[in-house]
Amino acid sequence: MTRTGPIALSCGEPAGIGPEIAAKAWATLRDSCPFFWIGDPRHLPPGTPIREITAPLEALSACTDAMPVLRLPFQGSADKGQADPANAAGVIRAIETGVQLVQAGEAAALCTAPIHKKALIDGAGFAYPGHTEFLAALAGCERVVMMLASAQLRVVPATIHIALSDVPSVLSPALLRETIEITALGLQRQFGIAAPRIAVAGLNPHAGEGGAMGHEELDWINDLVRQMQSEGLAVTGPHPADTLFHAAARTRYDAAVCMYHDQALIPIKTLDFDRGVNVTLGLPFIRTSPDHGTAFDIAGSGKANPTSLIEALKLAQAMAASS
Amino acid sequence: MSPRIGLIPGDPSGIGPELVARLLAEDCIAEADVLLIGDRHVFELGQAQAGLSHEMTAVDAATTDWIRVDGLALHEMQTLTPDEVVLAESTEASGRSTLRVLDQALDFVQQGVIDAIVFAPFNKASMHMAGIGHSDELHYMAEKLGVSGYISELNTLDGMWTSRVTSHIALKDVADAIDAHRIEEATHLIDRTLRRAGYARPRIAVAALNPHAGDGGNFGREEIDVIEPAVARMAGGQMAVTGPLPSDTVFLKVTRGEIDAVVTMYHDQGQIALKLLGFDRGVTVQGGLPVPVTTPAHGTAFDIAGRGEADVGATRAAFEIACKMVSNWEQESAA
Repeated sequence: MTRTGPIALSCGEPAGIGPEIAAKAWATLRDSCPFFWIGDPRHLPPGTPIREITAPLEALSACTDAMPVLRLPFQGSADKGQADPANAAGVIRAIETGVQLVQAGEAAALCTAPIHKKALIDGAGFAYPGHTEFLAALAGCERVVMMLASAQLRVVPATIHIALSDVPSVLSPALLRETIEITALGLQRQFGIAAPRIAVAGLNPHAGEGGAMGHEELDWINDLVRQMQSEGLAVTGPHPADTLFHAAARTRYDAAVCMYHDQALIPIKTLDFDRGVNVTLGLPFIRTSPDHGTAFDIAGSGKANPTSLIEALKLAQAMAASS
Repeated sequence: MSPRIGLIPGDPSGIGPELVARLLAEDCIAEADVLLIGDRHVFELGQAQAGLSHEMTAVDAATTDWIRVDGLALHEMQTLTPDEVVLAESTEASGRSTLRVLDQALDFVQQGVIDAIVFAPFNKASMHMAGIGHSDELHYMAEKLGVSGYISELNTLDGMWTSRVTSHIALKDVADAIDAHRIEEATHLIDRTLRRAGYARPRIAVAALNPHAGDGGNFGREEIDVIEPAVARMAGGQMAVTGPLPSDTVFLKVTRGEIDAVVTMYHDQGQIALKLLGFDRGVTVQGGLPVPVTTPAHGTAFDIAGRGEADVGATRAAFEIACKMVSNWEQESAA
């Protein structure tokens, strides 16, 4: 079943570059990828042509002429470069609204602009480690997985924001199995890939080279991959990470599950620096986001690059069409 | 004076002999005086595989002025019989042949017969069967040449260079193996090597160990405790060095031409980026030896051995870098 309807785009931190890149993305996508922006129009760059809507469906026809806006009044200032905690409640409501609309089927997917966590803690007692965890809680999900996707590569880091020295102890058969399962299911349900091929990277150089440089592959990663193969999953590995990402290797899998942050991020950023998109797998709806932060240092200067948001909206559209 | 390059065929079972034959047909060969070292039948095998024919003149390079001989000088050895060459297999015989030819080339370096060595791919399994006694060829060569200082493989591709502070060790041991001394040695080595390769003032970035360079200590403290102080000390000297930089974006700075080299903290950090950008085109420079020793970064490619399909690109690049390093090395010694 194809999801119809426009894509919901939440404002994110209004003092950052979110509103500016939303307006720029609309200028690029107005005829090809209908979306509506959830936020307070005071935060948009002056002169942005907008059309206020009351229901998402209106965005489908309105988007060509002006950026459709589902208006949500924020209490704080419209200044750029410094977060005003008084806007925190609005930022959170924009996300909640997006989730409601996509869960109700009125929006085809949710795309989120970057938030500034500290402002949400100061202004609204935000109790989640990040955007993704908040979405998981709203959707009632225990565990979600972060994927980075570009036209050339999809990668899923099994561990993310931890010290490299902690990676071997945090990795476990349960964690890796869950990551692979959520990735496979996400590729099936949201990317329309019937039998997803998943390549698992080794932890150690040369995937341990038979135990010569690290034992985790021998101790449990090999067994887990074999076990999941016997359960019918098209999973391979553990592969030496250094030869997993060149052009010929990339044709052999739909996503690479990596053991640590930089093992996943080095290849995708080196290949597609500003075209990488964040996708949250494991939610009951489609969620994408640009792979950058609020960029307070350039907010309001007009210099923000909308490429990643444009790619995030386009990917959300493509996923909606194939899910 | 042209650089005098010793060229050896590597493992006879792989694509090495074919690569040597192909290299000898390239224009860059004219930049140097080339001494082939090894078994005549191995070189002839490579020529047959490549569909090329090169006239080789036997010399005893230890006692004669081999540069003056007509045609292509070959210091002939008998390290294995033609029957012992088994294509696409690691064998004790091919490993023994590889090491004996390498030993001869190293002797010639020490005797001043040649200025540099370019070797076609070795096969680690064969060399281990033959009892290399070291983790890799770099450590083997360092011992033969009496090197006690810091040695490390350097990798280069299209003007991007990397060195690494740790190499073939388990990921769980990496953090403990990172210390200021090793970082400084790895950085000095790449600085010195790049100057020899023709960079007047190499711009070097030191990669961080942790994601987001530790995010101010939130995801690991090695950047704050070890890497930053080491970089600050070196930047206070003569080197153009910056860091620690997050490793997911540091390679973009090289591809954009903002820096020349990255000092990486662990094996896959640099190798993922290099192999992604040019799987078969990279060159390995054996850093820390008293003479230039270079080789293509790819291996013996048993899957295409003997088929006449080998691509000479990385071998040519290895040869060109060796020639350039010899010239700059001489200027450095003269200065």
